[in-house]
Amino acid sequence: MDILYLLIPLSVILVFFVLAGLWWAIDRGQFEDIEREGERILKDS
Amino acid sequence: MLSAPSETTAVLPPSPAASSAGSAPLISITPHSAEALHLLDDPQEWSAFSRPSPQGADCWESNVVIEGMHCAACSFTVEDAIAAVPGVVRVQVSAASHRAKVVWSAAAVQPSAWMQAVQQRGYRALPANDVFSSERRRIETRKALWRWLVAGLCMMQVMMYAYPAYTAQPGDLSMEMEQLLRWASWVLSLPVILFSCGPFFSNALRDLRRGSISMDLPVALGIAITFAVSTAGTFEPTGVFGREVYFDSLTMFVCFLLTGRWLELRLRNRTAGSLEALMNRLPESLERRNAEGIFERVAIRRLLVGDLVRVHPGEAFAADGVVEEGETLVDEALLTGESEALPRGPGSLVVAGSHNLSSTVQVRVQALGEQTRFGQIVALMQSASTSKPRAALLADRLAKPFLIAVLLGAATACAWWWQTDPERALMVAVSVLVVTCPCALSLATPAAMLAAAGNLARNGVLVRNLQGLEALSEVDAVVFDKTGTLTRDTLAVTSIEVRQGVAPAEVLQQAAALATHSMHPASKALVGASALEAYRAGPWICDAVTEQAGQGVEGKARPAGVQGESEIALRLGSARYCGVTADPGATARVYLSDSQGWLATFEVREDLRSEAAEVIAALTQARVQVHLLSGDHSGAVQRIATEVGITQARGGCSPADKLEALRELQAQGRKVLMVGDGLNDGPVLAGAHASFAFGNAVPLAQAQSDFVVLGDRLNTVLHSVLLARNTMAVVRQNLWWSLVYNAACVPLAIAGLLPAWLAGLGMASSSLVVVANALRLTRSGALNKGF
Repeated sequence: MDILYLLIPLSVILVFFVLAGLWWAIDRGQFEDIEREGERILKDS
Repeated sequence: MLSAPSETTAVLPPSPAASSAGSAPLISITPHSAEALHLLDDPQEWSAFSRPSPQGADCWESNVVIEGMHCAACSFTVEDAIAAVPGVVRVQVSAASHRAKVVWSAAAVQPSAWMQAVQQRGYRALPANDVFSSERRRIETRKALWRWLVAGLCMMQVMMYAYPAYTAQPGDLSMEMEQLLRWASWVLSLPVILFSCGPFFSNALRDLRRGSISMDLPVALGIAITFAVSTAGTFEPTGVFGREVYFDSLTMFVCFLLTGRWLELRLRNRTAGSLEALMNRLPESLERRNAEGIFERVAIRRLLVGDLVRVHPGEAFAADGVVEEGETLVDEALLTGESEALPRGPGSLVVAGSHNLSSTVQVRVQALGEQTRFGQIVALMQSASTSKPRAALLADRLAKPFLIAVLLGAATACAWWWQTDPERALMVAVSVLVVTCPCALSLATPAAMLAAAGNLARNGVLVRNLQGLEALSEVDAVVFDKTGTLTRDTLAVTSIEVRQGVAPAEVLQQAAALATHSMHPASKALVGASALEAYRAGPWICDAVTEQAGQGVEGKARPAGVQGESEIALRLGSARYCGVTADPGATARVYLSDSQGWLATFEVREDLRSEAAEVIAALTQARVQVHLLSGDHSGAVQRIATEVGITQARGGCSPADKLEALRELQAQGRKVLMVGDGLNDGPVLAGAHASFAFGNAVPLAQAQSDFVVLGDRLNTVLHSVLLARNTMAVVRQNLWWSLVYNAACVPLAIAGLLPAWLAGLGMASSSLVVVANALRLTRSGALNKGF
């Protein structure tokens, strides 16, 4: 169980990485126009 | 021109401003004229919706609202249309907000060019004059979302770290491991405390400085104390605060609260957004005579005192002035509540905010902006809104004694335990504070109000401020303004009397043929009636029509498709104009005569909303006193009042009179709901306990009311009053529940019988009960019965 002494601090760091990812997504406005992005793939050109 | 004949006439002219104000999403898309769009090519207009773009020299970034968009695919169509215009550098259309950002080069293209490109695809572009407020809202929304997500994510992870401590058997978890988990929880609680809880702390601090207490104070206090105790438990397990930690309860509590706030913010933004969208329109413009004597269209803000302007029928007067040429009828209903059309000829005064009804006039501008009567009403309204009686919210009134009781309870528990077990005393005090963490108490009100506001929004009522719901539930008197609230904006023909030997339908067709040449409301009523199935007859057409403002209209009529001899000369208008004797009576009549004299009498009257009587009966039944205050003639007001069953009615009120009457009612201790639509209602709307404006009301009236009704169903008022009462009932249940929960738990905590995990569970489930109870309000079925 000694591995937990490594994994628990790692999980804390991981949470901060996820938070940074979320911040990036919010800052880029990814949560503001959800529908359109889904349909962009259907558009030609 | 047809007149409104007798002295007691009550005609309600259509208000062009009203229809343009409600233009946003409700009506079909009619394209703007190219001339109107060219107004936007004036660089002075650009700053309202554009700013210089860093993309290149002479580049501007404009924000426009696209009307007529339904789905994401529409946004691509619009985007392609704009991008195809030479000179447009970049364009980005948002499907969710119906807005577009266009970067264009002023050297190569004018705004009207790409706006017309949008129109050619069947959409309509309007300058987004609300761009700065919507930008501010967008930033606020992002920040709130970010706070909420941080709290949510950290809560989930802290729960993971807390799980072993709850489930482990004694001896399973080594001391070091437990310590490690606590440190990890502490690290992840930090962003929640420092970032997510920011608004709670700053609000609580602001309240403390002002010497008041709101729900934010107990929340902030609870968060701070819980965190302090848990921190001490983590780093100094042997200290006075004991070794318990509450990171899981803390983060969960914050996440719940922020969920509520986030939903509240979204709802508020949506409401504010749809209200501000009403302000997005082309600049108001009118025709001004330039130095060469030619009339050209300019934006109103460029008007100067002394200018000569030409005002067409259907347009609003932009300034106070004197008529120099032409005769017309004007509608001052929005200013005075007086619904009769008033004649204005050379030398007479016209006021800003009134509408030109019948023919083109030239007006010399005398006063602009704040100097006009329009401006004075705005000032009156602002002063009324500052003196508005605003009751403190129920939850905030409860919070103060609650908080004091909790602090006292904690102190008593501490003192009591101190005598026997000093080491445990502080911990007990802390667990009292933790268990009473006022989550349910602070969720009780917003959860119920949000649910109610969502319900109202689906029924076409926008709630401009949530506190209005509490005010609305207390209302025991409602004041209607007749214009546009109890009646429709149009007149209707109620009866037809004809000369012996002619068919009513035939006569009506003849009258309608004349009436199509007039803008008068009564004429429109005749034209409307002639299209009814009951009066089906061969249509007539009229030639050589001349109108006399305020008197009537005459012309030669013949059946459509027949040439030659069958022409008859007709006159339509007041009794005097038609050369007949007027019938006595209070209602408005229009007469038709030919060469042999009297031919027909049409009785016209305001078109009462069909549901008006029903709604008023239901309101009375709901113990709400119904009043009618109107700027109209007393006779007409009384007649309408008796018809719909209102006993207390007063006519001939000026805006100041209405405000006076409102104050009188308030002095009697009544909580007054004001339902209005006109500009003249603005001050009263602002001064009332709660207020409704109809969606076709002038923007100013909308800006002052707590609720805005989209569409024109009067029963939404009744529905809202009943729902507000239900809402407050639910709020009270929620508050009682959280008080009972606290009353049950505090003694247990004082006795030292409540472990931390049980306190956390109790707190969570009490919050869930509150939210579930509030969700009952989203069901609208029971309230809509009978309508």
